[in-house]
Order: sequence, then C-alpha cells, then structure tokens
Amino acid sequence: MIYEKERRYIIPFFDVPAERAEMPEITVSERKGNFTEVETGFTEDTAVTEAKRCLSCRRCLGCALCWAECKPEAIDFSIPDQILDLEFDEVVTTAGQDNTFEKLPRELGYGSFANVITDLQFERMLSPTGPTDGVIVSPLDGEIPGRIAIIQGNPGGGDDHLLSSLILGVNESILALHRNPELEIILVSPLCREFHDKFMPQTETLKGLKIIDSAVSGVESRDAAGTLAIKTRQEDRTAEEAVDMAVILTKPKAVAEPKY
Amino acid sequence: MESKKILIIGGGLEGVNAALDRAQAGAKVTILEKFPTLGAERIPRDRLITPEDAFVNPDLEKVRSNSSIDILTYSEIKRLRKDNGRVKAKILKRSIRVDNSKCTDCKACIRVCPVNMFDDFNEGFGFRTAVDYCNPTTGEYNIFKEDMPVCQRTCPVNLDIRSYVGLIADGKYLESLAVIRDRLPLPGSIGRVCPHPCETACNRQYLDKPISICFLKRFVSDVELSKGIEPAYETPERKFPEKVGIVGAGPAGLACAYDLARLGYKDIEIFETLPVPGGYLWVGIPEYRLPKKLLQREVDLICSMGVNIHYNTRIGKDISFDDLKKNFDALFVGAGCHRGLKLAVPGEDEYMGKGVIDCVTFLREQALGRLPKAKGKLIVIGGGNAAIDSARVGWRMGFDEVYILYRRTKKEMPANPWEIDAAEHEGVKLQYLAAPVEITGDGKKATGMKCIKMELGEPDASGRRRPVPKEGSEYVIEAETIVPAISQGTDLSLLPRDHTFKISRHGTFEIDPYTGETSIPGVFAGGDVVSGPDIAIRAIAGGKKGALGIHEYLRSR
Repeated sequence: MIYEKERRYIIPFFDVPAERAEMPEITVSERKGNFTEVETGFTEDTAVTEAKRCLSCRRCLGCALCWAECKPEAIDFSIPDQILDLEFDEVVTTAGQDNTFEKLPRELGYGSFANVITDLQFERMLSPTGPTDGVIVSPLDGEIPGRIAIIQGNPGGGDDHLLSSLILGVNESILALHRNPELEIILVSPLCREFHDKFMPQTETLKGLKIIDSAVSGVESRDAAGTLAIKTRQEDRTAEEAVDMAVILTKPKAVAEPKY
Repeated sequence: MESKKILIIGGGLEGVNAALDRAQAGAKVTILEKFPTLGAERIPRDRLITPEDAFVNPDLEKVRSNSSIDILTYSEIKRLRKDNGRVKAKILKRSIRVDNSKCTDCKACIRVCPVNMFDDFNEGFGFRTAVDYCNPTTGEYNIFKEDMPVCQRTCPVNLDIRSYVGLIADGKYLESLAVIRDRLPLPGSIGRVCPHPCETACNRQYLDKPISICFLKRFVSDVELSKGIEPAYETPERKFPEKVGIVGAGPAGLACAYDLARLGYKDIEIFETLPVPGGYLWVGIPEYRLPKKLLQREVDLICSMGVNIHYNTRIGKDISFDDLKKNFDALFVGAGCHRGLKLAVPGEDEYMGKGVIDCVTFLREQALGRLPKAKGKLIVIGGGNAAIDSARVGWRMGFDEVYILYRRTKKEMPANPWEIDAAEHEGVKLQYLAAPVEITGDGKKATGMKCIKMELGEPDASGRRRPVPKEGSEYVIEAETIVPAISQGTDLSLLPRDHTFKISRHGTFEIDPYTGETSIPGVFAGGDVVSGPDIAIRAIAGGKKGALGIHEYLRSR
C-alpha cells in the first residue's frame, strides 16, 4: 500500500509497530479534591515502541551509497547552500514547473482509482523521455488500455479554460492515436463556441476519437479488472461509457503573486 | 544607462521565453526556479499539433549561452522587500550536491539509492530515487534533500523531531533530550502542555495515527528527572558585555534569556510582576497538567546560566519603563496576555469580585493558593482552553457542580478536544448553545446567571456558524461563582502614557516579522504580547526570534 500527502507518496514498511500509544492517566476518583498530575507518562517500552513508529520522512538519507558508487567523484555533499542578496527593478511571476491545478471533484475518482490520471500525467506518459518512454500503459495493472476517456475536470472553469483544456485533450489524443492506432478515445467535456467553430472540423477527421459534449457526473470502478464506468448526462438521460483508463483535464491554478 | 534588472520567478516554458524576450530587449534577467532544472517540454494548448511535432521545448541552450541571463535553479525566495522603487530579494540557492561537469551519466548512483520518492518531474508518475536527473534532455543530476521534514517545519521552534524521536527508538534518551534542548529550554513543561501542531502535520496520520511526538519529549525529560541527572546548561566562554533587560518570565522571556545566554550574554535581567516564574505556564496551566516543581526546576536550569529574575517587580509601577530602557542596551518585552476580557453583560461590573472572577485571575489566584474555599456551584463561560482549565480546577477545588457555558457546539469549541473530553469525563457539565444575558445577584453578591439558548446560523468571518439567540428561551442557573473565560488581552500599563510604540488595534505590539524589533530601536517583543493569546511553543518561538534580533542589533551597533 502506498499513501499520499500533498502530491507526495509515502511507502509504509510493515516492520514498524502500528498502534499509537495512549497516555496513561490516573482515574477520575483519584483526581477529585487534589491537583495530582493526571497524565502519568510513558513507560520506557511504550516510548521506544512509539518512537519506532516514526517513518522518518525525508528524502536523501545521507547514506552516501551513491557517493561511494560514483566513479568520476561527481557527488559532493559538502557543496553548501547559498544565500544570495540581490536587487531588481522588476519582478515577473510565471507558472514555473510546479504544475498545481484546481481541486478536482471527488466523483471523478482521481486519487481513488489508480487508472484515473491527470492530463499532466498523461502528457508525461506520452513523452518519449517520460517514465514509460512514451508507451501508454494503465498505472493500475501496466496493461495497454484499449479504450481511454479524456474527461473535463472543471466544467465550470470558464470558456478560456474549456478552450485550452479541450485543445490539450485533442492534442494528447492525436499523439496517443499515433502511438497506438488501435486505441479508442472518447473526450467528454462541455464544448465552448470557439472550440466548436475553430477546432471541431479538424478534430472530427481524427479516426478513433469521439467527442461527447457533456459533463461527467461520476466515474466508478466496475470490476476487478478495473474497468471504469464514465457516467454522463446527455439530453436528460444518463449514459455510461466503459473504458480502461481515464484522463482528467485539469485547470491550472492561477500564479500567486509573491508576498512582500 | 545601466540596464534594467528583472527577476523572473518560475522557470517553466513561459518563464524561459519571458527571460529570452526580456534579455533580447536589453535587460539583465535572473530566472529563478524551484526545481533543479529549467523548463521542460510541453504539449501546446493553443493550437492543434501533428504527431511528429508534438512537444515544444524551451530553448535552454540559448538561455544558458546568453550572458544577460543568470539562472538560479533549485532556488526559492526567502524574503522580498520593496525599497525605494527597487526590490530587494533574499534567495536561497540549494546545493544540488553533484558536480555535473564531472558526471558521466552512468546512472550508478540511481541504481544504489535506497530512497523511493514521488517522481515530481513526472507528475507523481512512478517513483524516483533521491539522486536523479529531473530533465532527461539536460541530464543534470541532483540530490534531493528536504530542508526539514514536515513535523519540524510545522513546529514553531523547528525542533529536530526526527532526530530526537529516532534517538529514543535507539534507546539514547539523554542524547535525545540534548537535541531537544538545543532549541527548546523547557522540554518537560512543553512536553506536557503543548497542543503539538507537529502531530497534526505528521505523515503517519495518513497510514493510521500520528506519532505521539509531544509525549515522547516529556518521556525523555522524565527519564533525566527519574535518574536524578542534573544537566549542565552551558554558555560559551566568549562573553558579550551588553546588558539585556527582559520584561516577563514567561515562555517568551525565558526562551529569549536562554538563547541570549547561549550566545554569550552574561548580563541578563528578567523583571517579573508575579512572585513566581513561568508566566502563564505557572499561573494559567493548572498543577494537574504541569506540576510546578517541574517547571521550577526547568527555570532554575535557565537561571544557572547567569540569568537573574527579579520577582514582584512590575514595570510601570516599581520601575518605570524609561528607567529600564536607560539601564539596558536592549530590551525584550514578553509581558503576555494577563487581562481577562469581560462578557459585557449587566451585573458583571456590579458583582466583579463578589462572585464574578475572570478566568485569568481565577487560575492565577488558585495557582498561588490565594482563593477562598470552594462553595456552591461554579459557572465558567467560554469554549477555549482557559475555560476548560478553569472548570477542571473548580471541579478539583470541590465546587458542588461545575458548568461550562458555550454559545456554539462542541464541534466549534476552540479548546483542545482531548481537554474537553477530560472535563466531561470528570463530570463537568457542558451546556452548548447557551449564552450569558445577565448576572443576577442579591445586591451583595452574585447568585446566578440568566442565559439564553442559541441556534447556529450562517457561517461568520471565522468560518464557524454564527450563534443566534432563540427568542423567549431565557433561563436562570443559580451559582455562587461565575468565571468569564472568553478571551485574554494585553496589559500595556507597563508603558508610559506618552509612549510612541506602534500598537495594533488588538492592543498588541507591532514588530518586524524577521527580527522581532518593535517600532522603537533596541526594544524587541514576542509571545502573547505580540500575537494575542496563543500557545506556549509559539511564545517560545517569539522569544527565540527576539534573542536573535537583539544579538544582531547589538553586534551591528
């Protein structure tokens, strides 16, 4: 099992005792009419067991294994951090490489199902220099998916967001279909006028891509193989599409101005 | 004319292009990125692509070769200040710990690294090792090391929790205590009373429950005590001659004195109004949570470093503030929040001292053994920790019945939930959704309180649902003692009437957030007198900040 916090994953090792120690206390009747300390403190055994629960969250452990292994002696732990005092006439803020996005509705299953990923993750997956060397695989089981849904994560995010996320969705489809011509992709999102007018004609010529002009009401996992049911509402009735993997179109968070 | 200097924050595609544009236009550009490498390839979001030309790569070669562009990767801004139309920036450039000019890209380091971490460059897709290259096209290796684990970062004094917990796991209790004392002078006391924000942040909670960090701190301090070990609180041999005066021997003042003594100041005088040290730790936290003997020992240890405490000395009465300022090279004010706020209901002023006693006075007088014997019923009004403490103290004193009145519900109560549970467990009666209307009396003393039932309405500015009175639901509780415990404020009577300190509308000192200096040079402040009523560990953090500020101030004079 792997658990996550603030987009970080943590792997628990099962050699740590799990129960959090409770602080022993004197009974209520022992407390009446006096000011004796209520909490009596951990015993040595309790304290050591409790301390061993610590996961020691850290990145580099300072174990120096890499340093010992590095033949050209390029690793140098003594290179210090630097504090620089600089002066500028102007400060410009841009998005940087920290791709944060607006919170996604829980119903879309991101974080619940391993085969529901974001458009940013899909972008990395499609990259020849990415973690899978450009091969599209389901993170659930490592299988090559036959049918993928690209779904809108922020249907109410405004026309500008719809336009750029739809273009990204189509571009990712173009690339994915090029990599795997057998693939079927459905793109489920409310459309905006500009996309419809400028990009729809070319999009419609893509073989293997189907556009569904609708919001997704939910994503559910249906069987042990991880097949996902994408639930949509079309013309007042609910419909379902079965896919092997879902990609959610995210809305980037606005860049925060620095604090002075 | 000198060319314009521009700082571009964010080294993604957008930032890299902006840097190139601005440099082209003749500016000197510095581009700053949190990641160890600049911009990565992206799929366009404004036009449709062809499969052969899917990714746009920022022109990193051009950025690197441009002499007008400085690249600061793996960097973050620590401080930005506007100054005379220019911006002064303090930037931390982290070490990547790899000399990339020597690296041969053999990947041996990646193979042996035992760390398995979220692959940030690939959007959390899969894992990478602590040593890695972020951008495969540039292949620049780096070793990722966080400055602090999340618990340490959350702790107001940045205690090295990982180390001291690890040392306990290894059975090295005294070494663990030494690690704690490196940043915290009162481990036994704080190990008992701290509401431990670190545990709220602890990553283990995502697996089961957080580590019991606070009680482990208490454990090691208890070990030292039970073994009868007297630790040496050492000070450096090199001493500084300046005299520093501190107002208040509470957590802020004591922490400030401790850090100054450890920096080498030998002339530190603390002025304390009360006959006892510890401030609110002594007169606010009841004995059953923090035994006074233990607190006294920890204060004595600080005094053994040459810190002198003058008890029963109120600044503004026994010594004037101006005299104090004349006699010392620098001052730290850690006077706390020792004034209980009023309910502002009819009858309160009339019966003040005749059955009505605010929680600060109630807890203080009890701690100093100056309260008359408990008789009849006690009502405490409020939902904070001081209210719970007052009620649990009252219950121990032997009041027949103890009530806590709170105008919202248990969920909204600001007190620590475990304290609320303990009070309920001991038999304190909690009445939620009830607000005081009037204190009733027989002309000589208070006899009870008229209350009104409340309902929860729309959320207010604090995000908690606003209580609204239910019409016609008034009722009376009879009680001989009524303790308002709604909040505490500062008491600035220590300052002369014509003082020129910048004071906030809450009656707290305004300070420089980096040095703790007030608007008067040489006078620093910290703790509750700056923050308003808050937890001890943050007061300690304020004291520590003040100590560093004072050191910087005195050394640069």
